[in-house]
Amino acid sequence: MSIKVRTVERKGRTFLEQLYLVEIAKGMTVTLGHFFRNLLDNSRLYVRHYPEVQPEISARWRGRHRLTKHEDGSVKCVACFMCQTNCPSNCIMIEAGERLDGRSEKMPTRFDIDLLECIYCGYCVEACPMDAIRMDTGIFSVTSYSRESMVLGLEDLLETPGAFDEAEYKKGGG
Amino acid sequence: MSALDILLVILRIAFGAFVPLSFVAVLVWMERRGAAFFQDRAGPNRANVLGFRAGGLIQNAADGIKLAFKEDIVPGHVKHKFYFILAPMLVFITALLCFAVIPFADVLVLGDKHYIMQAVPMDIGILWFLAVVGFGVYGIILAGWSSHNKYGMLGGLRAAAQVISYEIPMGLALVSLLAVYGTVNLTEMAQFQGKLLFGFIPMWGVVLQPLGVIIFIVAAFAETNRTPFDLAEGESEIVAGFHVEYSAMKFALFFMGEYVAMFVSSALIVTLYFGSFQIPWLNTETLVANARPLVILIMIGLPVIGYFFGAWIKKNNRSHYYRENDPRKKETAVYISLLWSLVAVTEIVLLAYLVFAHGGVADRILVALLQIGTFLFKTFLMCFVYVWVRWTLPRFRYDQLQKIGWEKLLPLALLNIFITSAIIVSFG
Repeated sequence: MSIKVRTVERKGRTFLEQLYLVEIAKGMTVTLGHFFRNLLDNSRLYVRHYPEVQPEISARWRGRHRLTKHEDGSVKCVACFMCQTNCPSNCIMIEAGERLDGRSEKMPTRFDIDLLECIYCGYCVEACPMDAIRMDTGIFSVTSYSRESMVLGLEDLLETPGAFDEAEYKKGGG
Repeated sequence: MSALDILLVILRIAFGAFVPLSFVAVLVWMERRGAAFFQDRAGPNRANVLGFRAGGLIQNAADGIKLAFKEDIVPGHVKHKFYFILAPMLVFITALLCFAVIPFADVLVLGDKHYIMQAVPMDIGILWFLAVVGFGVYGIILAGWSSHNKYGMLGGLRAAAQVISYEIPMGLALVSLLAVYGTVNLTEMAQFQGKLLFGFIPMWGVVLQPLGVIIFIVAAFAETNRTPFDLAEGESEIVAGFHVEYSAMKFALFFMGEYVAMFVSSALIVTLYFGSFQIPWLNTETLVANARPLVILIMIGLPVIGYFFGAWIKKNNRSHYYRENDPRKKETAVYISLLWSLVAVTEIVLLAYLVFAHGGVADRILVALLQIGTFLFKTFLMCFVYVWVRWTLPRFRYDQLQKIGWEKLLPLALLNIFITSAIIVSFG
């Protein structure tokens, strides 16, 4: 059994190509074509006019986090610490408290996510056994003027609604 | 000296000083919008004053104001503050001084007096340019050295080596050009290019020296440190090269110096090879003799150009997405009314010329203005070539750069001298 040898043709070694000028002229024709196409009709530019035109986000996009709720409005999270344990950048801080509504024994009294630390890997979503934390808010631009406001608390996370309906989210493989 | 003399001196110096400066704004704008269009992007289109964006020109004003108000840092490790501050000035001033000898119109004859239309009317012309442009690299070397930074140092070294290698082919390309023109005076060169070869081809440098023009343009690109020869900056390799330690207005001076240098070398390429201020087939005397029909032609042509320009503005200056009461439509209406009032004013001035002032001095001044327009237009196109090349070609590797300079351009320039002198000696 012999090794299959494939000879790759070296390009760019002919005299005309070594002269550069012809090839440069060719390249410049191409760019000039683009220039005049865009100059004469700038609606043909390959750009999205952000922020007026927002990009379409798929259900699988890992955006800013939120905490989900039961139908009656109570927190789904049972403070099992799975997400916090799984988090590679240690951005989740949970403090558990006693739960009195009979759904389970524990619930979070504090649930902070430091968005400056977060790397948006989605491991917390995968680790959660209760489907309590999701990254389906569709918020992709997280900016602020202060470090403090980048730490989200329990209230902020519960307030934000999801951007997709349930069926779409499930189809997305979440 | 009469009052007229003094007025013309002031006008010429003002032209020599302010035209390159105002072209900086135009060129920065052209570079950014041009780059965007070459790459299918939009370029700066948000900065505005009261909703007027002037096609992106307002962005320049915003950048200028930002740079002027930024903190001007001289890093603590800089030992020679004097040279550190001197360097950007040197780059800028030498670039500006080069323009002083470039003629922007033919010799203006008013009565029995002749005015050479250069900021500094002197005979040495091209020699002044070579002397001053070579001095510009000292600014870059000084900046690199006094930054006390390895990237700055490398940038300065690269610039020095590059300019030295490319000044030789550039000088040699000029030698054969000087042999053709038989003068170093740039105004005389420009007048020479008003003649016709075989009676129908304009005798421009590019026709007489097809090889020389390629060598000269390549060397001029290297001299101005522009892509594909911008190794002195090489942001992917040495961050920003010589100006890595500069901030605020000192950086702005480097930046403006680069664009002034680009403008000046475009102006020189136009002067030497593309007929300077000459309109093809119409030299100064023909223009003066046929001033009236020419003015009538312009008066007919202006509204036509205005119509197409207006249509172009209307088509492109609008939002390309749904927007209630599109403010850009209002902006467009203002631009178009400005355009038409400009056309109307020009028409009125030309009409006044036709009715009251044609003949003699007025013709001369009109022709001079036309030639200034032609010169600036040609220079603008050449600057566009600079931008065009920058956004088409990648940067050369350093050894390739030196190889092209010494092994290709130098022998070619010598060959060009040989051919040129053989032709001149045999045909006279």
